[in-house]
Amino acid sequence: MLFPILRLLAVFLLTLAGAVLVIQLLLWASPGDPVDLVPNGDEIRAQLEQEWGLDRPLPQRYAQFLGRAVRGDLGTSLTYRPGATVTELILPAAGRSLRLLIPSLLLAMGLGIGLGFATAGRTSFVRRLAQVVSVAPVFLLAFLAVHLLNELAFYGMEAGWFGRPDWFALPDTDSALKTALAIAVLAVGSGALAEVHAAVEDEMVMLRNAPFVDAAVARGAPVWKHVLWNLLPPLATIAYGRAAFFVGGLVIVEKVLHLNGAGSMLWQACRLRDYPVALGITVLAAAAVCGARLLGDLVRIAVDPRLREAAQ
Amino acid sequence: MPDRLSLEGLRILAGAKELVRDVDLQLEAGEILALVGASGSGKTLSARAILGLPGPRPGVVAAQLELCVGGQVLRPYQGLTEAVAAGRPGRFWRRAAQAFRPIRGHLVGTMAQDARGALDPLWTVERQVVEALSLGDSSDTPAAVLGRAGFRQPQRVLGLYPHQLSGGMAQRACIALALARGSRFLIADEPTTGLDPTVQEAILVELQRLAGEGIGVLLITHDLRIVPRVADRVQIMDRGRTVETLPATLLSSSSSPEVRSLIDATARVAGGAL
Amino acid sequence: MKATAWLGVGLLLLVGLAGVLTGLLPEAWLPYDVVADVSPDQAGLAPTAGHWLGTDHLGRDVAWRLLLATRAFVGPGLLACLLASVIGVGAGAISGYLGGPASALVRYLSTVTASIPRFVLVLLAIAINGNSTWLIGAVAGLAYSPAVAEAVFGRIDSLKRADFVLAAQAHGLSPARILLYHLLWVNCRRMVGRHALNLFGYLLLLETTLSYIGGFGVMEPQPSWGNMLAFEFGYRTANIWGVWAPAVAIWLTIFCCGLVSEALAERRRA
Repeated sequence: MLFPILRLLAVFLLTLAGAVLVIQLLLWASPGDPVDLVPNGDEIRAQLEQEWGLDRPLPQRYAQFLGRAVRGDLGTSLTYRPGATVTELILPAAGRSLRLLIPSLLLAMGLGIGLGFATAGRTSFVRRLAQVVSVAPVFLLAFLAVHLLNELAFYGMEAGWFGRPDWFALPDTDSALKTALAIAVLAVGSGALAEVHAAVEDEMVMLRNAPFVDAAVARGAPVWKHVLWNLLPPLATIAYGRAAFFVGGLVIVEKVLHLNGAGSMLWQACRLRDYPVALGITVLAAAAVCGARLLGDLVRIAVDPRLREAAQ
Repeated sequence: MPDRLSLEGLRILAGAKELVRDVDLQLEAGEILALVGASGSGKTLSARAILGLPGPRPGVVAAQLELCVGGQVLRPYQGLTEAVAAGRPGRFWRRAAQAFRPIRGHLVGTMAQDARGALDPLWTVERQVVEALSLGDSSDTPAAVLGRAGFRQPQRVLGLYPHQLSGGMAQRACIALALARGSRFLIADEPTTGLDPTVQEAILVELQRLAGEGIGVLLITHDLRIVPRVADRVQIMDRGRTVETLPATLLSSSSSPEVRSLIDATARVAGGAL
Repeated sequence: MKATAWLGVGLLLLVGLAGVLTGLLPEAWLPYDVVADVSPDQAGLAPTAGHWLGTDHLGRDVAWRLLLATRAFVGPGLLACLLASVIGVGAGAISGYLGGPASALVRYLSTVTASIPRFVLVLLAIAINGNSTWLIGAVAGLAYSPAVAEAVFGRIDSLKRADFVLAAQAHGLSPARILLYHLLWVNCRRMVGRHALNLFGYLLLLETTLSYIGGFGVMEPQPSWGNMLAFEFGYRTANIWGVWAPAVAIWLTIFCCGLVSEALAERRRA
């Protein structure tokens, strides 16, 4: 059992290292000079070039970045919060973002499973509705929800039905409703729900027609235990397959709904051309996606004995 | 009065198409009835009707099933004709699981064609046998159940997963699961297909042994060659209807054209007389 | 294809045509001036003969802005599809057909690129290189090509041992012809088409999101369906079309991409 786990860890590290390379390539491949876009770039040009290794060839830059990153040093913030280390900025922000990301992923999976049970391979109105709503981009759903809620509150207040709700006016005030809205919008929008549901439904249809399910019915055994347990590996695959998508959506949701997390920090960093922070968050995003894949594979290996053998 | 199973007047529809029409089937404890026919003749559908298993919509529309076991008589299809005549078959089928519960896995065990496929790939053999046992009130241990199915080293097999079993072992495991709760009847659906000859022989010997212990075996097969070897009686089906039912020894002297063509084709494949 | 799918194709063609025309025609030829059309006295008008969808809260004509906004994403969208298709099909086909270390490398690159969320990658790219919708299209296309490569790789890899391929090889057909025609064109074109459609929809999503949030994408006074929405936010304008027209346009276009993509899907083998 140890060897498969080590192998998965190795895959995780290798993939992450590759992602960092791609990120570094992005910086290296820019036609202009990244220093130019930094607000006070000319003054500290020499320092920047030295720190980012812009004067050195790509392999050396990459090694330097990787070496520092492994020790937890992702550089220092320039313009976003000058002087603060990138790590001390992004890690707490990442924690806040995770509190949004994980419930959202779970909600998407839950809704996907629920809808899958409900529609079970038949065309139905519910499924069409879910598809239609899910197609809307995350920002559009957030925009519409905020717009409608604000309008509703405004009318209600003017007509005297109720006083000013504590969440008015979205999205400027923090509230439980706003967080719930963020989680819901992230779980549903930009096709997230539609795709999770389609994938889950595929698996469920395959399972229902599986010979061992039929044999269980013929034996008079309860089928749900078999179905649920056999759904776990494909569910894990579906979950980590959507991870990158969810992280991207998170960045949008945080910005649109004015939430404070790694996503909105990325926007600010990009706006202010604070490359260390932006790169650091991107690396973190890649690590999150790779981590999700690692977790998913671990679940699959734990549940499916055939994978355990194949991995050895 | 020996235990017996009697299915009469079976009719299965898929939409407007009649898949099985007017099929009767009698099985007594301790005998092996071979249900023979080409693919698509309705053998599996008819056998599944004994368990009340759903087929294609709308499925079974007429059937009388009577099981006599230990003096008790069960008629699980009671109410089907009324429900279908009233145009509300759902009324019957909603209660079907309840009506067939004493039969499925308990009075009648099933061995599917794809033995390994019939086992949950994520569960050990032990866990599956334990599940089968827990559905009844048998006090047998899993090892004893496997031993009764012919395993010589049940302890070793218990910890295995289905993908680690050979074809023959998987088939035996299915026998074990099918009989875990002391079934009186066994439906064996193409148990020898896809196995090599020595294993086929072993499975057939096993089935004979079970019949010797008093279990009524419904052996579904499209291979006529094994019929005279194992079966007491033969029932030939063709395109959803019973063509003929006769003792296995009299098979080659049948005069019905469908049976003759089946025998001739089998003989040609076997390279000689049956 | 079903009737609804053809409607979807029609809408997409209209949008595409609008985007291409408005993008190619010089500014001077267009009967609408984006910058100059600011008339606060005509703010928030309901649809009239002169303004088919009314005006926004600065008095600008909503219908014209809706039309002109198509040039923000159609060109970059087509660029993205082109890049992703060419690179993806090329890499996937070659590595699929040849197998061995080439395929391992393609799969590794594909997994690595897929680990970075596309949105984050695009954001980073425009932060480093400056804001440009064409750059957005290019980066999106490059970031999407691994997905296409994987799909094509999988299809070719599974087909290359198929009987018809062996027969073709036995008949002496050149590998290039087998690969290009029999494998790619006959078997992969629908799949690649679906990916291209999904990518086009994704690019619209990308561009409108960036323009909505502001600072990137299309900036005022140039119209984008995204920034039209952002512009009307919070203004209790009498003209609801200012809000709903771009919202419906975005939603409908992406929906049609998905609809046509679904229609192109090969029927599942029963």
